[in-house]
Amino acid sequence: MTRGIGHAPIPRCHMTTAATLRRITPYLLVGFPIVILFVLVAYPMLYNVNLSLHNTRGEFVGLHNFARVFDDPTFGAALQATAIYVVLAVGTELLLGLALALYIHRTIANATVRALVYVLLIVPMVTPPVVAGVIARLMYTPNYGIINSILRGLGLIHKDILWLSTGPTAMFSVLSVDIWQWTPFVFLVCFAGLQAVPQDVVEASKVDGAGGWNLFRLIEFPYLKSLLLLLVIFRFTDTFRVFDHVLVLTAGGPGAATEFISVYLYRVAFKFFDLGYAAAIGFYVVIVTSVLFSRLSRWLATEGVM
Amino acid sequence: MSRKRLALAVAYAILAVIVVVYLFPFFWMISTAVKSKAELYRYPPTVIPAAPSVDAFISVLVGRRYTHLLENSLAVALAAVVGGLAVSLLITYPLTRMAVTPGFRRGLLGWILSLRFLPPIVVVIPFFDIVRKLGLYDTRMALMLLYTVFSLPFAVWMLKGFLAEIPMEIEEAAFVDGATRLRAFFQIILPQMTPALLAAGVITFSLTWSEFMFAFILTASPQSQTFSIGVASLVTQFEIIWNEMAAAGVISALVPITLLLLARRYVIMALTFGAVREKA
Repeated sequence: MTRGIGHAPIPRCHMTTAATLRRITPYLLVGFPIVILFVLVAYPMLYNVNLSLHNTRGEFVGLHNFARVFDDPTFGAALQATAIYVVLAVGTELLLGLALALYIHRTIANATVRALVYVLLIVPMVTPPVVAGVIARLMYTPNYGIINSILRGLGLIHKDILWLSTGPTAMFSVLSVDIWQWTPFVFLVCFAGLQAVPQDVVEASKVDGAGGWNLFRLIEFPYLKSLLLLLVIFRFTDTFRVFDHVLVLTAGGPGAATEFISVYLYRVAFKFFDLGYAAAIGFYVVIVTSVLFSRLSRWLATEGVM
Repeated sequence: MSRKRLALAVAYAILAVIVVVYLFPFFWMISTAVKSKAELYRYPPTVIPAAPSVDAFISVLVGRRYTHLLENSLAVALAAVVGGLAVSLLITYPLTRMAVTPGFRRGLLGWILSLRFLPPIVVVIPFFDIVRKLGLYDTRMALMLLYTVFSLPFAVWMLKGFLAEIPMEIEEAAFVDGATRLRAFFQIILPQMTPALLAAGVITFSLTWSEFMFAFILTASPQSQTFSIGVASLVTQFEIIWNEMAAAGVISALVPITLLLLARRYVIMALTFGAVREKA
């Protein structure tokens, strides 16, 4: 409590009110934007509850919409597709990004090259997801697409692959965009983390004969652990909600092969106009994400990351 | 020694391959954007355009009147920057520089961070209905509001870090000299915050510029659609005109790439909410 030193002594009779006022000022200042913010976020959430209790004709149906989820095979398929996408995208990005960061960190010491890599790898990351989808469309399309041309040129295929027309290849295409955009993020965060590892410890353990794997496991990993956790959380949330580039690239197709939860919710709400059912599903999603978030934020706090 | 040099050569080779693979998709988009219509149908496709032209850019911006969408994107992104930064300062200043209980500070920051983890599709469903009932459907206003709110998580977390770093003594000295808190804020804190505000502003602008889902669901006509919607609508139409689609993509990507390369020191920091500070 060092604020306000040097102020003229406050007359005794006003002491309590002035002190109280000073104590509550920060809360009043914060209160104004927070109330507005809360209304903007909380009201839609309450509205969501109201929506979820009604059908398309606006009739009250109780918890019917919440029960529908359990015998909706399309929702099950969306959940499954999302799970596959999340696991493969996050797994690949983390492994690839971490491996590259370790490799470059250990082999290339030149500061100019490192700075150049940083700048170049930032580019895919800051590309709007819609544009990433456009680029993928340009590359995977059967006739104009460069990927088929390259594969043909290398003699690997003799007939064009219809990348976006079969389930597994469409999933691969959608995944490849995510991996292209976000592996650099993992790389750059790990790379930044590795700078914090004290070099003398590394040198000492090398003298003691620690090889590449042990060096990572015993010396570098402890420094990266909390960052990797942070990366898992961020990549998990972002892949779970994936929407933009999918809509541009496959629009959920072929069939429902790449219809992830967000895409499915979009279709339920804005193609079938079943806002009540969409709201109910959304409610489940909010519950799952809030439980996850509260767990993870506590974890992050104990790790001292945030 | 020669083994070490060989290892280094291998590392550079791998690095070069990675960079080429990473940047080739961009090159392909730019190459497509400057091709003429005739060249698009050549098979196999040419990698380097035989006769580069800017026709595709002109037909996107002038023929399709996408300049109007650029205007909308600019307007909503600027509103989000101004609104988002102002609200963020209003929240972070008392939290970092005035006496509040640690529990309050942690709780509030945590709640704001949790907004980042809320899937936007869940928010947009009720918002769609509310916005329609308020008569704000297909207006820039609806987007401005949402963009301001959803720019807060990282703006607050970024500014919080910077504000906490300004030594308390600077402000206290001003109080001793008789300055009010408001005056100290404008004359001492704000100038110190200029780089942080610029960085947060640039990043808010870029993220808003790139946003797709809210705009896709809450707008319907060129009077409020953003440029991202324009890009996507070139993809979903019946016959895709590759060079126009690519040209729109180039324009759309150019803005955030340029801005974020300028603010590159802060990109990783912003994306990790201040947890990682990159010196590059």
